[in-house]
Amino acid sequence: MEEGSLHTDGNAIGGVLAEVFVAEVTAAGRVCQSCGLDSQIGAHRLYTGAGFVLRCPGCGDLAAVIAALPDRNVISLHGAWSIARTSE
Amino acid sequence: MEGTAVLGGLGAAPRLPWRDATIRAIRPETPSAKTLVLDVPGWPGHAAGQHVDVRLTAEDGYQAQRSYSIASRPGSPDLELTVEGIEDGEVSPYLTEDALPGDGFELRGPIGGYFVWDASRDEPVLLVGGGSGLVPLMAMLRHRRATGSTVDARLLLSARAIEDVFYREELEELAADSVDVRITLTRGEAPPGWSGFARRIDRDMLADLGPPPAERPRAYVCGPTPFVEEAARLLVELGHEPARVHTERFGPTGD
Amino acid sequence: MARISRGFRGRRRGAGEPGRLPPGQYITPDFPVLSAGPTPHPPLQGWSFTIGGAVGEGRSWSWEELLALPAEIVTKDIHCVTKWSKFDTTWKGVSVDTLLEGTEPWGEYVVAWCDGGYTTNLPLADVTGGKAWVAYEYDGEPLDPEHGGPARLLVPHLYFWKSAKWVRGLNLTAEDEPGFWENYGYHNYGDPWKEQRYWGD
Repeated sequence: MEEGSLHTDGNAIGGVLAEVFVAEVTAAGRVCQSCGLDSQIGAHRLYTGAGFVLRCPGCGDLAAVIAALPDRNVISLHGAWSIARTSE
Repeated sequence: MEGTAVLGGLGAAPRLPWRDATIRAIRPETPSAKTLVLDVPGWPGHAAGQHVDVRLTAEDGYQAQRSYSIASRPGSPDLELTVEGIEDGEVSPYLTEDALPGDGFELRGPIGGYFVWDASRDEPVLLVGGGSGLVPLMAMLRHRRATGSTVDARLLLSARAIEDVFYREELEELAADSVDVRITLTRGEAPPGWSGFARRIDRDMLADLGPPPAERPRAYVCGPTPFVEEAARLLVELGHEPARVHTERFGPTGD
Repeated sequence: MARISRGFRGRRRGAGEPGRLPPGQYITPDFPVLSAGPTPHPPLQGWSFTIGGAVGEGRSWSWEELLALPAEIVTKDIHCVTKWSKFDTTWKGVSVDTLLEGTEPWGEYVVAWCDGGYTTNLPLADVTGGKAWVAYEYDGEPLDPEHGGPARLLVPHLYFWKSAKWVRGLNLTAEDEPGFWENYGYHNYGDPWKEQRYWGD
């Protein structure tokens, strides 16, 4: 298997994120707490372990940890996430 | 701040339920890929570039889930997914080898707001796809065609061999129409009389394709993770704005 | 109940001998790669493994020194919290008992810490008495970086997230200190036979 091929990106957990936030989040912006990069969630690198780990596309630091458990989601967010309100 | 876009009514849907999907028809695209034409009661519609999560449940309750890009254009009467069968895959062999019209599964969607193109955008659009990464890009091109958009659109597709290229005839039609379509084959012998590229994508290929960064195109790069990272890196190296290079990584093989 | 997909089975295999597969698990023919971050590539030149913390005098081994320690080849079943199990996996490594020989641990817990920042916690009793290794070979070959090479912790009687990849040391602690996944909803102990996957299980 090619090195550096194992991760995907925030698009791949768009469904999980929509469940957690009750909103579309892949287009949301995030300013990194470590390097200050302003980028969209879909561009973040996604690693899949026991749960999901999203990392800054600039510096690799943690952006979010999401454990989608059977009856609940356990999440932590890092950096400043900007999620648009939806109009209904 | 960049990145607060939520599509009109589609993106506003607050809940993403699992919906029943039944296969109405199956269309072979290549020896290993098939397009599934689906009936999904209550389907809310989608935007070009979005995907669905597909969930299969076995009789004993075992479940497996994978994401697939929507191939059909927004507003099309049918929801279509093009699935490449991955050897030793968990879900794709079922979808491409076992499932028949009348069979079904669950899906959740449409998902995505970052890797989306809408014909209301007027900047040039640059599409770079590797293998099955062509699928969401094709939804974008179909959308462009259906809306009569004349926006500058260019596609660079990397595939192993000509037999692996999805939608060949349609791509030829688009090329004859108004889209700059280029294909590069990366493995084995190119067919006789081949006028496309025959090597892995590189800086020259992308520079040649254009448009130049000064025109501020919006780029969409999709396919296996190494392909996407390389292509995105090259585009940024050429001077394209990182925030205008949208990426969607399928993982090592895109199963 | 979710819609059944006619004929779908997935890649799993049968359950083996009765009682061998923990509840809720499926046997996989593959060896899935899971991780919380990119694969680190520490140069072996400066690599070291350290026993420290609540242990009196700690100690450290270079890569060559680790490989020179008495090693064991063990064959074990492994069980991932994401429900796949793999039978008869073969590893070569140094028993944690060997690494702790001659030390005087006064902490009852251990935190395994790794390149890339991953951590996991275990009771000291669960890494001693022949239950844990620092493994550097899998299936007769040097451990692949994607599977934790150069060395990973191997604790097969617990869910495999406790078998920390890219391990660089064990820190003994007086109090139990939850590690990475244990802080995010995963069970503090992780016994597959009691299906201790998540908090509250």
